[in-house]
Amino acid sequence: MRIGIVCPYSLDMPGGVQNHVQDLAEALIALGHEVSVLAPADENGPLPPYVVPAGRAVPVRYNGSVARLTFGPLSAARVRRWLHTGGFDVLHVHEPFTPSLSMLAVWAARGPVVATFHTAMTRSRTMAAAQGALQLILERITARIAVSELARKVQVEHLGGGAVEIPNGVAVARYARAQPLPGWPGPCHPGTGGALGFLGRFSEPRKGFPVLRDAFVRLAPRRPGLRLLVAGPGEIDEALAAVPAALHDRVTFLGRVAEPDKPRMLRSVDLYVAPNTGGESFGMILTEAMAAGTAVVATDLDAFRRVLDGAGELFPAGDPAALAAVLGRLLDDQPARAALAARAREVVAGFDWPVLARRVVEVYESAIEATGGGQPVVDEDLSEAPPVL
Amino acid sequence: MPDVWWWGAWAAVVLLLVVLYVSWLAGRVGRLHRRAEAATAALDAALVRRAAAAALLADELAPAAPAPAAGLSAAARAAIEAAPDGREAAENDLTGALRRLPPRGPDPVPAWAGVVTASRRLGLARQVHTDVVRDALAVRRRVPVRLLGLARRHPAPSYFDVGDPVLDEAADPHRPTVPTRPDQATRA
Repeated sequence: MRIGIVCPYSLDMPGGVQNHVQDLAEALIALGHEVSVLAPADENGPLPPYVVPAGRAVPVRYNGSVARLTFGPLSAARVRRWLHTGGFDVLHVHEPFTPSLSMLAVWAARGPVVATFHTAMTRSRTMAAAQGALQLILERITARIAVSELARKVQVEHLGGGAVEIPNGVAVARYARAQPLPGWPGPCHPGTGGALGFLGRFSEPRKGFPVLRDAFVRLAPRRPGLRLLVAGPGEIDEALAAVPAALHDRVTFLGRVAEPDKPRMLRSVDLYVAPNTGGESFGMILTEAMAAGTAVVATDLDAFRRVLDGAGELFPAGDPAALAAVLGRLLDDQPARAALAARAREVVAGFDWPVLARRVVEVYESAIEATGGGQPVVDEDLSEAPPVL
Repeated sequence: MPDVWWWGAWAAVVLLLVVLYVSWLAGRVGRLHRRAEAATAALDAALVRRAAAAALLADELAPAAPAPAAGLSAAARAAIEAAPDGREAAENDLTGALRRLPPRGPDPVPAWAGVVTASRRLGLARQVHTDVVRDALAVRRRVPVRLLGLARRHPAPSYFDVGDPVLDEAADPHRPTVPTRPDQATRA
């Protein structure tokens, strides 16, 4: 099958949607399909061979994060050229409601179009105001996929219409066999030692790093040898300001970790902590920690509870004291951590990319069949418009 | 008489815009109805494939469990032979018959995987069909479409109202690390 995938966000920047698109593309290629990914990216940067760069992206604030988007007549022309030369059996766009390459591609395409919705935007004002315009985009989409129950609910409640739920995947094998970083996780015994991990933009409030930091500050004086490993971009001085100077050498900042180093980081800790305060629709990092075989402690968010499915401990949102209590108990209890990790391996098997890619292919096949079958995705040209006057 | 030309030019521009809008709307109506038709055909094919897979499963189960196999076989045949107005009920009966299959022993039942896949594909076809029918019916209700009778040439599509046909995830043959246990699906 020839598959054209459109990613709205720049591949030069790390991000959930970008990782999803690349992992999906690689899993589909491994299944024997031909895949072309159109995405904003610097043409001179290193890119996988299946990526077609669509130029640099401009940063736009969206849903609490900064997204990098490409939009405009020049991008529209590139999208059309890519569609025209691609001869795809199916077009798969991600986040088609962001003003991006995805929206342009849906607008230009005919034939089977599959769309994946990642964000769970609950009642966004933009969405209500643009309902009419979004409906025009929506009715060009043949089949919809939502990566989470929440994202699916948004589809059903606010847009009318359903979506198939296919979660974010994780390349389990790559995580399970990664080597921990040298010197980590170190000894962990009742009362002493242990390593806690956090990965993400720690300056961003909804990622909840302050909750973990405060829990660490409570726990560390009582627990000699306890260390905190933080990966991700952010202001280190700002993050350390609330940590007593005596504890500074027990907090390690790795900075932004490249995708291949993420599994190593996750395998370097005894407990992975996801203290997010909200705004998460899925919890990709949890499946990654589970794949790495690391026990997880996470905020009691609906999305997290669904993903973990019993393979992690939960604590009330924004409560450092409760988090410290859970961490202390689990660090003292090796069998409990092992049990969580064992359950995690079971749960994460359902998120393995090869498994999910096959389900995505079934959606492609359904979309192709539902549009009559056999016609490739062609770009809308003027000959289809009715003659005027 | 420059005033008259001025008004004439305006009228021409407005008329052009109206004509452009109406022709675009007519194109949209036509496209949605063609898509609804194609989705209906795909749904029909998915229903037939599921019934065929269920009949195959019934044959395979017959030696070990003659009574449930006969029930399943009858439900599959009823689904294939149903008249248009009784088809939704017959398909729901087939879904029910598949869900009610008794727990089986450890022996693998190859046809089971076929039924699970066909059911999942039917779920997708149903989803796609429902979405496009909703879009087509919504565009038919728009005031300009009704006033100008833009949908007159197209028969109104109708929903195919059946329950979720997807069988339990635990029986998904694509989950390699969890042993396939069809008994879980039938108990659900």
